[in-house]
Amino acid sequence: MPFLSLVVAVVYLLAPTLGLCYDVLILQSLRDKGYQEAVQGFKRECTASSRTVVLSDFVAADLTRMVREERPKLIIAVGERAHEMSIKVREIPVLYMMVITPRHRLPANHSGVGMLIDPSRYVSVLDNLGSRRIGVLFDPSRTGAYLKKAQSAARRSGMDLVVREVRSPRETPALLDSLRGRVDAIWMIPDLTAVSTATTEAFFLFSQGEMIPVVTFSDFYLTMGGAIALSIDRHDIGRQLGEMARQVLDGTPVEELPAQSPRKFTIKANNGVLKKLRLSLTVPGGS
Amino acid sequence: MRRFPFPFLAKSFRFRLYFLYSATIALLTGAFVSFYVYTEFTGFRSALIREGRLLATVLAQNARLPLFAENREALWTLAKSTGRYPSVLQVSIVTADGKLLTQVKERTAVKERTIEMEVPVTSPGLVSSPDAVLLGHAAGDEDRVIGRVRLSLDTSDMRERLRKLIYASIGIGIAFWALASLLSYQILNRVTASFNLMMGGIEKIGSGNLSARVALDGDDELGRAANAINEMAASLELRELENRELQEELINAMKLEVQEEKKQVMARLIQTNKMTSLGLLLSSMAHEINNPNASIRFSGHLIEKMWRDAVPLLDGVRREEGDFYLGGVPFATARDAVAENAAKIVENSERIARVVQGLREYGVGGGTKRRPNLDVNGAVSGALSVLACQMKQQVMLKTSLCPTLPPVNGSQQQIEQVLINLITNAMQAFPNGCGEVVVTTALDREQNEVVVVVRDNGVGIEEETMHRLFEPFYSTRLESGGSGLGLYISQYIVADHGGKLVLTSRPGEGTTAQVRLPAAEPLTSG
Repeated sequence: MPFLSLVVAVVYLLAPTLGLCYDVLILQSLRDKGYQEAVQGFKRECTASSRTVVLSDFVAADLTRMVREERPKLIIAVGERAHEMSIKVREIPVLYMMVITPRHRLPANHSGVGMLIDPSRYVSVLDNLGSRRIGVLFDPSRTGAYLKKAQSAARRSGMDLVVREVRSPRETPALLDSLRGRVDAIWMIPDLTAVSTATTEAFFLFSQGEMIPVVTFSDFYLTMGGAIALSIDRHDIGRQLGEMARQVLDGTPVEELPAQSPRKFTIKANNGVLKKLRLSLTVPGGS
Repeated sequence: MRRFPFPFLAKSFRFRLYFLYSATIALLTGAFVSFYVYTEFTGFRSALIREGRLLATVLAQNARLPLFAENREALWTLAKSTGRYPSVLQVSIVTADGKLLTQVKERTAVKERTIEMEVPVTSPGLVSSPDAVLLGHAAGDEDRVIGRVRLSLDTSDMRERLRKLIYASIGIGIAFWALASLLSYQILNRVTASFNLMMGGIEKIGSGNLSARVALDGDDELGRAANAINEMAASLELRELENRELQEELINAMKLEVQEEKKQVMARLIQTNKMTSLGLLLSSMAHEINNPNASIRFSGHLIEKMWRDAVPLLDGVRREEGDFYLGGVPFATARDAVAENAAKIVENSERIARVVQGLREYGVGGGTKRRPNLDVNGAVSGALSVLACQMKQQVMLKTSLCPTLPPVNGSQQQIEQVLINLITNAMQAFPNGCGEVVVTTALDREQNEVVVVVRDNGVGIEEETMHRLFEPFYSTRLESGGSGLGLYISQYIVADHGGKLVLTSRPGEGTTAQVRLPAAEPLTSG
């Protein structure tokens, strides 16, 4: 009888632990359709057991305790908040996705797939449009690193990036105005300082006034006057990260997996705008 | 009922109608002008507000980016361009927290004459942030207010236009009213001409000229009314003529009646005068007869007395000397004849005196004192004695007097007068003067009345005359001297004695007059 009581007590105590046994802890910043798409792509590629924690459901989620008690093999940080929270985790690998501007210097156990398409893709499109002087507004604290890559890519293509550093969203209209007559195209990068809800239309008004195309990062802006958009595929980003996660789970050290750009994107053009600007686009190869 | 405000014009139907028309047109015109001006005013105001809102909206749209960037220079340029519009007095652009970024003041105006409006400057909800776009969020639909554009609009121009509109509307309204009133007057003139014709005709008819007519032709209501009035006037004229004729007839009849009445009155006056003269004559005659009659009666008494004294002497003579003759008659015969004739002289003289006294009393009045023991038979005899001289040979007068009549309480003279009237009427009831009059007295024991009946077998009395027999001055023989008072007075006298006078007659068979007088004392039965 005492033995039976002991077994029941053990089962009772271990049952939650047994129930929480998983490999991947998915930290999702909030319940968002975009995040959901990415998570679905991830789960499709990585079928390891996982637990999803939506941070917006908790007032203050204690990630350290979760990691200590639940001992996952991998943490997937989805979104900015999850990315920021997971920075503190050092003992297990952390992969991020759906983060526009990941921390510049990440710990070695951190890697992931960003949301910014490789600048060379944009350069290729701009080159295709025949633009030589490309105006770019950016906040060095946000997209400084990305801009460096862009400048390198542009230089390689013989293009000149006319950049303006934006410290505050209010500067955008004036800085754009400073580009008047000096650029052949505007490259709108997803910089939260340079591109805000209040200043977005300034790009397209400038485009309209200067009769130059705006190449942007989402087909959403085509409706506002953008000429060409290179849009990410959130589901594929999830799958891309899933592949990385699988490798990590298979034993590949995360330090050996560098951060990646989205491998898949779509190019869409507003033919009406292109026609007005008397431009044409030959879709470059690659996906 | 409400009275017309201008009494001196209220009598003119045309003017009242015209006044009402004109007032109604003025009222409607005023209402229309007011409505039109009000509509235009609201239209002007709405247009101004629309224009201002449009300008403010355009400005807000254009100022979105400069406002976000707080680019005062660009905002001033935009505000200035908006302020160039004539209706814009002042343009202000402020941030969402109220900080003034720029203000353009073109003119100043009285505050009451300005329209203030404010349009928010919004960041378009269609635009999402880059991270939201990358996450595939749909565009939001909530605009975020980042500032405000305030416009002051000048309403002076609108008021000037409105003033001109009011003047023009009032002018047009007055012109319309005048024209409509003029037309109304012309129409009313035509319409009420018929009324005036009718009124003229009616007034003429009303003033008494019934031969006047309403000169209106037509088959409409007025025409029919005029026809009806004309017919009425014709009818009235006919009645007037008939009335005039009847009046004339009535006047003539009255004249005739008055003449007849006058004739009757004159006859009565003459009769009365005659009666007065007759009374005087009777009085005079009585005086002239009574004197010699008194002498005759005295002589008769004297002769009687003297003969009475002489008879013993003459008897002695006859005894002594034998019979002798007196006046050719033997004394033995003459002895009683003289005494008898002397007595006759006295008796007839007294009779003459009584007749004269009766005539005198009848003529001059008097003797009306009632006696409780009046002998009706005596009254009958008195009446007959008065009428003795008038008795006609062809009329047979019969008397049948009850010897046991009780006395009555009455005036002999008055009863005699009644009987004289009745007997005279009876004697005059014969057209050819021949007939029979019977006077009887009797006693009605049941009624305790003394009855005197005067019956004739004359022409009788017509039915219609019977009803008027006792009317004063009614007589069928006024021309022949009748006074029309006989039966009237007789009935009065009999009634005054407590009796009654009853006349019964059958035309062609005669008349019976019955005088019933109550006995002075109740009769004993048996």
